Amino acid sequence: MKMDRRSFLSFVIGGAAGTTLSPLPWKLTDDLAIWSQNWPWTPVPEKGEVSYANTTCMLCPGGCGITVRKVGDRAVKIEGTKGHPVNNGGICILGLSGLQLLYGPTRVPSPLRRTGERGENRWQKVSWDEALAWVAEKLADLRGKRLSHTVACISGTDGGTVPRLMERFLTAFGSPNFIRTPSMRDSYEMTLHLMQGAQASIGFDIENADFIVSFGSGILEGWGSPVRMFRANSVWKENGVKVVQIEPRLSNTAAKSDKWLPIHPGTEGALALGLAHVILKESLYRKDFVGTHTSGFDRWSKEVVEEWTPEQVETVTGIDKSTIVDLAKSFANAKKPLAICGRGKGNTAGGIGEFMAVHSLNALMGNINRKGGVWAVPGSDHIHWPEVEMDAVASAGMQQTRIDGAGTDKFMHARHLLHRVPEMINAGDPSLVQALFVLDANPYYTLSDKALLKKAWAKIPFILSFSSFMDETAQNADLILPNHMYLERYEDVPYAEGFNKPFIGLAKPVVSPQFDTLHTGDAILRLAKALGDPVEKAFPWEDYEGCLDDTFGDQWEELQEIGYRVESDFEPGSRNTAFETASRKFEFIPEESKDAAKNVMVKAEGEEPAYPLVLIPYDSPRLASGFIGDPPFMIKTVPDTVLKENDLLVEVHPKTAQSLGISEGKPAVLKTPKGEARVRVHLFEGIMPGLVAMPTGLGHQAYDGYLAGKGINFNDLIGPVEDEVSGLDAAWGIRAKLSRV
Amino acid sequence: MSTNDDKAKEKAVAETENHPGHSEDKKGKGSGGSILLFFLVGIIASLLVGWVVFPKLLYSQKKQPINFNHAFHVETVDEGCASCHFFREDGSFSGVPKLAQCTGCHEEAQGEDPEEIKFVTQYVEKGREVPWLVCSRQPNCVFFSHAAHVELAKMECVTCHGPIGESTHSKIYEENRITGVSRDIWGRNIAGIKRNSWDRMKMEDCAECHAEAAAKEVSELEGPMEGFFNNAVKIAFPKSLSGRKTSVQTQNEACFVCHK
Amino acid sequence: MKNEQAKKYGMVIDLDKCTGCGACMVACMAENNVPFKKDETNKLDSITWMRVFQLTNGKSFPETDICYIPRPCMHCEGEHGHSPCVSVCPATATDYSQQTGIVSQIYTRCFGCRYCMAACPYHARYFNWWDPVWPNGMEKYLNPNVSPRMRGVVEKCSFCFHRYQRAMEKAFLEGRRELEEEEYQTACTQACPAGAIVFGDLNNEKHKIHQIVNPDPAHRGRPKNPKAFRLLERLGTNPKVYYLSSREWVRRAGDNYLPHEGSGKGH
Repeated sequence: MKMDRRSFLSFVIGGAAGTTLSPLPWKLTDDLAIWSQNWPWTPVPEKGEVSYANTTCMLCPGGCGITVRKVGDRAVKIEGTKGHPVNNGGICILGLSGLQLLYGPTRVPSPLRRTGERGENRWQKVSWDEALAWVAEKLADLRGKRLSHTVACISGTDGGTVPRLMERFLTAFGSPNFIRTPSMRDSYEMTLHLMQGAQASIGFDIENADFIVSFGSGILEGWGSPVRMFRANSVWKENGVKVVQIEPRLSNTAAKSDKWLPIHPGTEGALALGLAHVILKESLYRKDFVGTHTSGFDRWSKEVVEEWTPEQVETVTGIDKSTIVDLAKSFANAKKPLAICGRGKGNTAGGIGEFMAVHSLNALMGNINRKGGVWAVPGSDHIHWPEVEMDAVASAGMQQTRIDGAGTDKFMHARHLLHRVPEMINAGDPSLVQALFVLDANPYYTLSDKALLKKAWAKIPFILSFSSFMDETAQNADLILPNHMYLERYEDVPYAEGFNKPFIGLAKPVVSPQFDTLHTGDAILRLAKALGDPVEKAFPWEDYEGCLDDTFGDQWEELQEIGYRVESDFEPGSRNTAFETASRKFEFIPEESKDAAKNVMVKAEGEEPAYPLVLIPYDSPRLASGFIGDPPFMIKTVPDTVLKENDLLVEVHPKTAQSLGISEGKPAVLKTPKGEARVRVHLFEGIMPGLVAMPTGLGHQAYDGYLAGKGINFNDLIGPVEDEVSGLDAAWGIRAKLSRV
Repeated sequence: MSTNDDKAKEKAVAETENHPGHSEDKKGKGSGGSILLFFLVGIIASLLVGWVVFPKLLYSQKKQPINFNHAFHVETVDEGCASCHFFREDGSFSGVPKLAQCTGCHEEAQGEDPEEIKFVTQYVEKGREVPWLVCSRQPNCVFFSHAAHVELAKMECVTCHGPIGESTHSKIYEENRITGVSRDIWGRNIAGIKRNSWDRMKMEDCAECHAEAAAKEVSELEGPMEGFFNNAVKIAFPKSLSGRKTSVQTQNEACFVCHK
Repeated sequence: MKNEQAKKYGMVIDLDKCTGCGACMVACMAENNVPFKKDETNKLDSITWMRVFQLTNGKSFPETDICYIPRPCMHCEGEHGHSPCVSVCPATATDYSQQTGIVSQIYTRCFGCRYCMAACPYHARYFNWWDPVWPNGMEKYLNPNVSPRMRGVVEKCSFCFHRYQRAMEKAFLEGRRELEEEEYQTACTQACPAGAIVFGDLNNEKHKIHQIVNPDPAHRGRPKNPKAFRLLERLGTNPKVYYLSSREWVRRAGDNYLPHEGSGKGH
């Protein structure tokens, strides 16, 4: 039978009718609708039992308790732990983003050995045995050549068991070069040491203060323990506590303060002494305290009264003298006034003269070791390991001068001076550092004076990073031995920045290790074992957990259960016994170092007219500027007046911009004595004319595409300015030139 | 100015003018019988395709990793379905048991059943979760609260899941190749016809039951006459006067109640 | 559930306490599986259910002042639930619940016409121009209580409605039909380190939010607390997000005023 056109049409019509009467079109339509509503490539998060695991956040020195919500084995959300002594349920933006670090592509998946040039980011996976054997071989070689002291470690923290194990390793090996990264802890520790004779951390009874003068401290930018400060700020608002913020830029803190006093940057110490002048002149200081518990008052007050009159201070700081007098009076008339310093988040050391000037204000008001005041908080004393038995090599190594010069005759009171290291490496030939370990730090990003640093870096033959993440330092290392990330490991956090009670938090594993990583504590123990005696015998522990168990003894179980240990009824030492200076008093002029406070102000590097402006950094709570790179969530919250595509916007006052012929959003070249960068300009009424402000925490080159290449690293444009007395890096800004392109 | 479109139109017109009556040439050549035959062939072929071939193509068939005997387990346990499919303390429903629940009894094989031995050797001993294929899994946009239905409304498991507790072996899991969901959501019957309340799990099936329940609630709450009246109104005007308005667009709670 | 008194969930944000830290934004993103891209500096396509804006008083240095203002979805009630977005949705993808006062958004129902975005005076709605991509295993942290959205649909703050659902499930299991105040709190409220956000039922006199705001039923919930205000009050959108500020210029900035107008507090 031949199929003609009509038959064919008939067949088609029949087919269509049959199809209509079959479920095919209707079911297909429905299925396609469902398919289009649930694209198969849209991830479907797996369901499961919800559980909560408490641990301690280690992304900043804040020591917050965090509660991780889990669904099955997956961690899905980080929240603040209710009832925790430091943050009581609150959490900051970085702590919230932790899971993006845990599961993110910036993790180092296994031990990696460099195959290309340094920084080329070409790696070969190696096994842990192989990697540790390689390090042990390098170390044994150095030790054999009596060069044990050329091994150095840069660590982000000290005091906890892991950095202490590292320090112990260096001691047994024969190197004094355990160097902590700089922060305001350096200056506050030195201030307490010089003026109070205390080996202690600074604590602020901030919730009980009733008048706060902040000399540039970013109370709401991440200074101290950030969540605690946010909470305190709310308490102040409820109780009508006045906050006066002194800084040249309208920061978050300044915006929330009751009074914002813009000041010429770098002159904060002068203002502190100007206030002291008024308080002394008007005799508003607490005579009971000053009379019985201080020494050197007469000489100090004479100097202050003579040198720091409101008129002079007005010229220096740009704050008019009536304001100075008013502020001094309000401060002195408050019941529990408190003066604090440490710029921004406190990620730099700062000048000791400024810290001592501010601390003197507190002393004048007698609020040392008292409610609402500044407390000397003894460091945690949980580590009582036996003395290291050193052999001849170790003893000889330990007697060598520290490479950063800390503790030498010149810088007797300094403990860590990391900023000096690049210069010292460049000065020596061969390099004074033959092997560098980096632990919880990212010096390749955070150290300033990049030209000097890169030169020094190239001279170090062997660089080992313990980073969990592919940060700048790891990327420029020879070997990466990735640590478990903080949510995967045990570690004690012996400190909460600025907290006024002795505190130990415990980080606990909330998920199993996601990659082929090893706890750095265990890596150190295995290295010691590989080196054999005498290094090995300094470590009588099977593994790191055994070490923790041994360290905390009968408190270990309780610590594991509660997750922290706090002396909640801690009272600071009585004034009769707390001051361990030679005079047993608070020393306005420290006997140990009479000139310590002579540099009240430190000049910024660079000269006019080549550099007519001053560049200052500013910290933002939405950007991590320490050794942690910002996770994608945080970068997402950065306003488009700070970052536009990959361009960084610097803040400039409209008048300054006008004089330079630059308008909003336009590109410009920012040049300092240390570097040059192409930026864009954001006009902001909240910044003092003549300044350029740049956010910290951007300009990463490593990590992933969500962070690398965004903005400029402020540390590329600045160099250290050494305080000649203390040795600390007192740089707060740098002179700069901004020109249109 | 003449555009390309205009030109194309002109050309088309010209072509039709040049070939008039072409279609008429073939008129009357095919017989009525063969037309009918082809029609029938077409209709039967397409019906076969639609009713028989299409469902076969639409669903892929997978065997469960373990042939599970529900009936046997229900007999052994004390609390029926809830012995294994229970509510967690936070109100969420545990669904398919995890391995840890099974190992309570099956740390070692308790009998000779090859399926149990397979379960013990391949999953329990290796600590691997069994990749059960869940017939009642809804697409990810659906939020279903077991607590609201079982605890609050006191519904029986059977109402939606059917007499699965009486089954002695696992049925073949059929997955819709387009949507990726189980065949049990649409129902075994490809036409979508259901005989029992548990035959389908589409949104219409939820809605059907909810409408009945709502009507019942109204009649129970108010006097019999009033209840009757309200029910009548509800059936006649399902989206307006019936009961209380609970949302603006749908009048019937916001869609958020069952969607996420 | 139909027997109980209807809820009207709302939020009050204390702008004196808000520090602009952005924790609420990230808490929201983490809780609600909000996607992110490599470049998020075009804020028009950057999805932020909760977004912290910055207001300035417009004065010059050193009199200049700034205030941070977090903006979730306002869950407008309008007149009897006719919020601007609900009224225009042709797909019934968004709805106003009289039971909770929450404006829902059903992603699978939405077909992406974006009328609602045009209608929303608060820019609280966002369109997915791209499929969400979580790099290399990062999808592990996704929350199963919220479905990830696909390209082509609109999304917005839901007042963490899934948390309400979960809390209700627990209540059902325990034989309750009512929630305690702390049982249902949004992720941003929970996270805010400054404690600036208070969330609760505006209809419930025992809830903190009711006590703080003191809504005036005669004026469509306008706050009786003189420090409180709502954004664009005069549009009549009747939002359920309230703000507190002791600063006059901030309260004034909450609405658009002509230069000659007074403070706009009409009661």
